[in-house]
Amino acid sequence: MFKLWVAIKKEFRILMYDKAGLAVMFGMPLLLVYVITIIQDSAFKIVNENKISILIVNKDKGAEGQKLVELMQASGLFELSQKDSVQNVKQTMQKEDYLTSLVIADNFTEKLTEKALLVSSTMMTELGLEEPTNMPKKIKLPALDFYHDPVLQENYCFSIMSMVDAFLKSIEGELFINQMCKQLELTESPQQLKDAMIENRVPINRIPATASDSTKLPNSTQHNVPAWTIFAMFFMVVSLGNNIVKERLNGSFIRLKTMPTSFALVLGAKMLLYLGAAVAQVALVFSSAILTFPLLGLPELTLPSNQLGFIFIVLLSGLAAVSYAMLVGTMARTQEQAHGFGSMSIVILAAIGGIWVPSFVMPDYMQTISLISPLNWCLQGFYVLFLKGGTWAALQPVVLGLGLFITTCLGIAFLKLKKDKII
Amino acid sequence: MTFNCIQIEDVSKRYKGADKDSLKKVSLSIQTGDVYGVLGPNGAGKTTLISILCGIIEASDGHVVYRDNNEEVNFKGIQPKIGFVPQEYALYQELTPVQNLEYFGALYNLSKEKIAARTTEILAVLGLSRVANDRVETFSGGMKRRVNLAIGIIHEPSILFLDEPTVGVDVQSKVAILKFLNQLNQAGTTIIYTSHHLSEAQDFCNRIALIDQGEIIMKGNIDELLSTHAAEDLKALFIQFTGEEYRD
Repeated sequence: MFKLWVAIKKEFRILMYDKAGLAVMFGMPLLLVYVITIIQDSAFKIVNENKISILIVNKDKGAEGQKLVELMQASGLFELSQKDSVQNVKQTMQKEDYLTSLVIADNFTEKLTEKALLVSSTMMTELGLEEPTNMPKKIKLPALDFYHDPVLQENYCFSIMSMVDAFLKSIEGELFINQMCKQLELTESPQQLKDAMIENRVPINRIPATASDSTKLPNSTQHNVPAWTIFAMFFMVVSLGNNIVKERLNGSFIRLKTMPTSFALVLGAKMLLYLGAAVAQVALVFSSAILTFPLLGLPELTLPSNQLGFIFIVLLSGLAAVSYAMLVGTMARTQEQAHGFGSMSIVILAAIGGIWVPSFVMPDYMQTISLISPLNWCLQGFYVLFLKGGTWAALQPVVLGLGLFITTCLGIAFLKLKKDKII
Repeated sequence: MTFNCIQIEDVSKRYKGADKDSLKKVSLSIQTGDVYGVLGPNGAGKTTLISILCGIIEASDGHVVYRDNNEEVNFKGIQPKIGFVPQEYALYQELTPVQNLEYFGALYNLSKEKIAARTTEILAVLGLSRVANDRVETFSGGMKRRVNLAIGIIHEPSILFLDEPTVGVDVQSKVAILKFLNQLNQAGTTIIYTSHHLSEAQDFCNRIALIDQGEIIMKGNIDELLSTHAAEDLKALFIQFTGEEYRD
């Protein structure tokens, strides 16, 4: 035990000496978590929160344009900024930082009313209640112009347009009923009919498909805090990889072969120390997020209810990172190779693994590719814990994947050391 | 009582991919209390031989017999009693001499107290007490060599292997190292060492083996060898047997 303790102490001293390595291991994730979370927070809000910021330019001279605006307002889905007229919508959007805008034409009420009259007259004629009129067979309706920032995703734009379309149907329905009543010379529109036709609709229940009753949705905090912590964990390949190559090259490993000690103890000490460093990274980044994010107006980070599962995934992710660093350290011939390949590979695995941009916003084929990244498996583990209730059953694929990855990395590292006759 | 603590019998070594042997049927006997010099030009096979004896690499053929208290033991049996000082600074330059000795001492299975006592003792003898808690990276070449040596003897080995222990050091450090090694030898440590410094070897060793192109071309007591071959010194003997051609 004394041997192991001294070996860990020696690794700790070397790690403490490596100031640049420490900065990368602990400073970088903190910086990235704050910067990226702040940057991505608004984007996540667009996707996740109900309020959609939109500029309304209502040129309509009648009441229906305003009714559309009121319906949008009443829905609670939009955060409206209204202007009666704008010279150039595109320029205004760019200048005033709007992502979307809806322009209501000046003859909106007029044309909708005409359409309602046409439909009700046609119906009255068909029912034999009125003589045929010489009204046009079709009314040319004015278009609503929906402007959007080009960066907005297609499905997001379609969602907004679908919502506006639903409101339009409601307005058109109400106009039709009013017109029918008028032609039937009913003095007041029967509210009961309106309610029956317009208000009483098939409800759609929204139920998150989580393992528990948790209704948490992904936000920038829940993505970025674990994501950048995982990135930093894996980035220890630079420090640990270099450490291993250096000891191999300076003859320390050779010296060990002449000593009555197990090489596994030396490597075990390295792994334990760096696993401890990975846990410290999690503790630092997560506690910083919990304590300071609410002060910065960022979404709060709440730890998952399955705390044992959380600790397990942290340890497993740390071990995966350490194993990868061991593999790179044993395969690299020089410190430059370990540094260059190690850091580049982590940047690439992070990019495809959904660390920078969550994989759920990636195209389908990229989502499939992301499965090759161990960083993605680690992130999936945290997603399961944070967003899907975090049951052990749900964690099983992540545990299996990471277990296989760890075994493979350590197995190859062992074979390489064996081949080089170091062990 | 002296006995052959290491008996090398027909040891050959061919590295993977090489087209010739680095060592060819080498046979040597090293007695307890010897200061045995393994001398030879570059690429002669000195480091290969010492690496086989220390268990770093395996011989392709032949075998090495180790004896402890005049009883035959395998390498694992002798391993705790051997010390190895490689030519490279096989230590942690980010750490201090005390921290290096603590680490390697623990790996030699020494207790905390024993490490502390030996560290104080060795660093004092090697003139490193003053810098015991400074980082090795700030040291001169000679000081680093002395720390390298200190690590190899922290556990008081009975057999000490030294691969070019005085390469690249100043005269003062060289004198200090050799003086210390002589003290160790007088205290009973068997020393096997390689060197390019023939005058140093002549002063330091009692027996030598001259290796060239993987073969032992001469071995024995230095005085007897010089007398037998009518050579003025080891340098003359060396040139007489290995020639003046480059061995790059």
